Amino acid sequence: MSHVEPGAAEPLVGTRTASSPAVPAPSARAVAAPADDRQSAFFTLDHGTATLAGALVGRVDRRWRLLAATAFPAGSNPDTLLGLLVDRLRSADPARAEAIGSGPGSGAEPLVAWPRLVATSVPAATLAVIAATERTRARLEEAAVGAGWNVIAGSAERTDPLALTRLATRPGVVALLVGVADPPDADERDLAAELAVAAAGIAARRPGMRVFLAGPVPDAPLLDAWRAPVIVRLPAPAGAPGDLAASTLRAALAAARGGPDDSRRALAAAAGSLARVLGLRVEILEIGVSGAARVVASPGPADDGGIAASVQIVEVPDAALFRMDRPGSVDRIDYWFTQGLDRARLRDRLAELAIASWSDLDADGALLRGAALRGAVERLLAATDPVLGHGGVDLVIGAGGAWSAVPAPAAAHIVADVVRRPGAVQVAIDHARLLGPIGTIADDAGRDALVAGLGEDLLLPLGTIVTPRGLRPNRPAGRLVLETRGARSEVELVAGGFTLVDLPPGASGTAELAFRGTPELGPRGRRFKIAVSGGLAGLLLDLRDIPLRLPERPDRRRELLGTWERALWPERDA
Amino acid sequence: MTGSLELVPARALLVPRPRIRLELQPGDRVTAVVGEAVHVGEVVAERIRDPRLVEAVVPRDGADQGIPLPGTWVPAEHALAGRHAGAPAGELLFEHGGRRRLVSGPHPDRLHAPADGRVVEVEPGVALVLEIDGPGLVATELLGEPHWGRLVLLPEESDPRLALDVALAGAVVVLPGRVDAEALARARAMGIRGAVVASLAERDRRDLAASAARQQAGLHRLAPFGVLVLGGYLRRAFASAVRSTLDAASGAVVGLVGDPPLLLLPADRQLPLPELDQIVVHGGPEAGREGRWLGPGGIRRVRGGITAETGLVALDDGRTVAIPIGELERFAVLVANG
Repeated sequence: MSHVEPGAAEPLVGTRTASSPAVPAPSARAVAAPADDRQSAFFTLDHGTATLAGALVGRVDRRWRLLAATAFPAGSNPDTLLGLLVDRLRSADPARAEAIGSGPGSGAEPLVAWPRLVATSVPAATLAVIAATERTRARLEEAAVGAGWNVIAGSAERTDPLALTRLATRPGVVALLVGVADPPDADERDLAAELAVAAAGIAARRPGMRVFLAGPVPDAPLLDAWRAPVIVRLPAPAGAPGDLAASTLRAALAAARGGPDDSRRALAAAAGSLARVLGLRVEILEIGVSGAARVVASPGPADDGGIAASVQIVEVPDAALFRMDRPGSVDRIDYWFTQGLDRARLRDRLAELAIASWSDLDADGALLRGAALRGAVERLLAATDPVLGHGGVDLVIGAGGAWSAVPAPAAAHIVADVVRRPGAVQVAIDHARLLGPIGTIADDAGRDALVAGLGEDLLLPLGTIVTPRGLRPNRPAGRLVLETRGARSEVELVAGGFTLVDLPPGASGTAELAFRGTPELGPRGRRFKIAVSGGLAGLLLDLRDIPLRLPERPDRRRELLGTWERALWPERDA
Repeated sequence: MTGSLELVPARALLVPRPRIRLELQPGDRVTAVVGEAVHVGEVVAERIRDPRLVEAVVPRDGADQGIPLPGTWVPAEHALAGRHAGAPAGELLFEHGGRRRLVSGPHPDRLHAPADGRVVEVEPGVALVLEIDGPGLVATELLGEPHWGRLVLLPEESDPRLALDVALAGAVVVLPGRVDAEALARARAMGIRGAVVASLAERDRRDLAASAARQQAGLHRLAPFGVLVLGGYLRRAFASAVRSTLDAASGAVVGLVGDPPLLLLPADRQLPLPELDQIVVHGGPEAGREGRWLGPGGIRRVRGGITAETGLVALDDGRTVAIPIGELERFAVLVANG
């Protein structure tokens, strides 16, 4: 992928070297073999909540290539899936299958002989948070939510011990977080000991419950507790509520929630590799059925003269694809849905999708998924912008099964609709669900080598989105001159809509934009020269408002959205 | 092709000897003992309706006996003039600083065993765990409270507004047709103890939950009532394997439980097993149909432009069609429960 001129750049918080402990450490068990030159092929498996995705990667002409990939509903047998991939390779390219050792009579059975990189998405479990004061509760709750937990919380300041006990012993609660500030605030000192006794009482009722103690909470009552709970000491909550930028407590809670193969944490490692290898600022928007995460990775110089990557990840369980238990979440899906549907029916269909995510695939079921995906990305950005900012990145990647449930050009449209930032950005999706499994490779150098070796097979490029801010709607806005390998095309621009320019995957070029006004595209100006790269959606000049303003009347809004949707998703009416 | 059948997600139909959890709140008093056999309808705990927190000073004669465990039932203590303020009977939440926090409350309700089984664990104030003698038919959700009764299957085409009458009082009815909150309210008013439905819309679920909350708040409550949903939210018919199981259990005493959601069936009934390659289509244009698995159908584009892995299915009506695998399911024979 080429490097485009960045949009409005904001400094990302902190720069760490690749070996920094703040980047999640993947499993030691994660296969090192793909980096082994003797290995001819390997499998990847991404066990999602709704989807089981598998891929076969093999060596072709001394480099790694994606040879086959597919996805099935979760619950399918992984060995059967991988066997299907091998069969398809044998059938489509017997010579290649023979070359990598999977042809008939090649010796060892591929399912046994080839290593597997496995990532598993851990559904957001419920954590009960109890604190002495509301102030500390807010800090703990923010850290736990950002670490991917579903949280129910209370404080001794507002809630009596009976209500706290009932809260922490609700069905589905798997762990308890008890915390005070370090040093304890004046109003926390007296309550810390009682809080520890209450926690011991809760632990005695729930055998096997994990208890996290953040800050100087006395552990003596818990050590004496009947049925000896599992106690984990964590750092005290630090900073003001809302200040999550470098929360060590959040990182520790994330590590405690997911295992070493947790696909969301692995995405952070993969994003770091992409940033180092491509030299681009990378943003991953991962949307799943049981949770969501946003990762921002930015390259920078390392102390040893190489390239380091600063990586930040924030998980947002509330941004799960079909989550509707928050006020307004169904309204937003209805807002984006281009088909008229009464609210009760819409709720039922979304609730059905939450329990059977692979059903309702055809016709307007796909449009409904597109609307739900827009709603989820909105929630993800709203929750993470205060932490990660909304500054320009060079490459936005859609990860998770939700992005594969709509045609690829429509995925670019979804990014354009919801990620409203002035600037130019490349867009791609993790179509073969490789990033999670690759992120489980513990060794940065090995992971970087695999990312570099896979090259353009790793991601499915959707194209480049150019979004200027400050154009007057429905007026001539200027002119685009696109030059690609000697070919030159000119397009007159009209503000207020999309302009699509065909630029296929693998193509790249230079876009010269001459505006009549002085819109913002990173900096403000009249003339811009931007490097662009192609994809299934091509070059998408999004000349709509930032933020996007749509008609209030539902019928007019649906009509307008449908017009845009049809341009990038012609099969929607088929 | 039987190997490729494993690409179709399997759903458990029956769980042998399931372990079920009956929810408790702090302050509830368990009367059953771990290891004890219980029979359907037996009282296993007393639930208090409006638990409240009571602070009591640790009595002098109790101070040297060690701190009792949280969850321990503490008997009432009479007030002694000038010496001890007394305390009602209740469950100990915790003891700290010479004071006990007890949970107490009036108006205990009785919690009954929903099926024959054995008490395997008591988590005070959290749950009572029973291992049930018979198998459980897997459902997705129980709305309302666990209960039991004689299983009665209404005919496929019956109108619940006409079919639900007082003759069914005490029964658990299977409602195969369209079900709404009105039909369920009528069932409750007729003294029916529970209903089994294939699916229930979100609006009807909320109406039912609101109705249950009003009953909980009343001083004179109606008998518990539970609605067991076997599927999701959109209207569906029972799969043939489920119908056969319900037919076989008809007339027997069954239980409804929510954790996990199960219809508890009698241990002494011979239940039919689902066929291994029987496929149920639960979405798309062929939703509700059943057939036999023939093998993978490859990646195909469906209406709307999405590509999906498909499977070839010989439908029972004689057609062979490629259907996205995400819209197929099969029933596993028996899956053991934790």
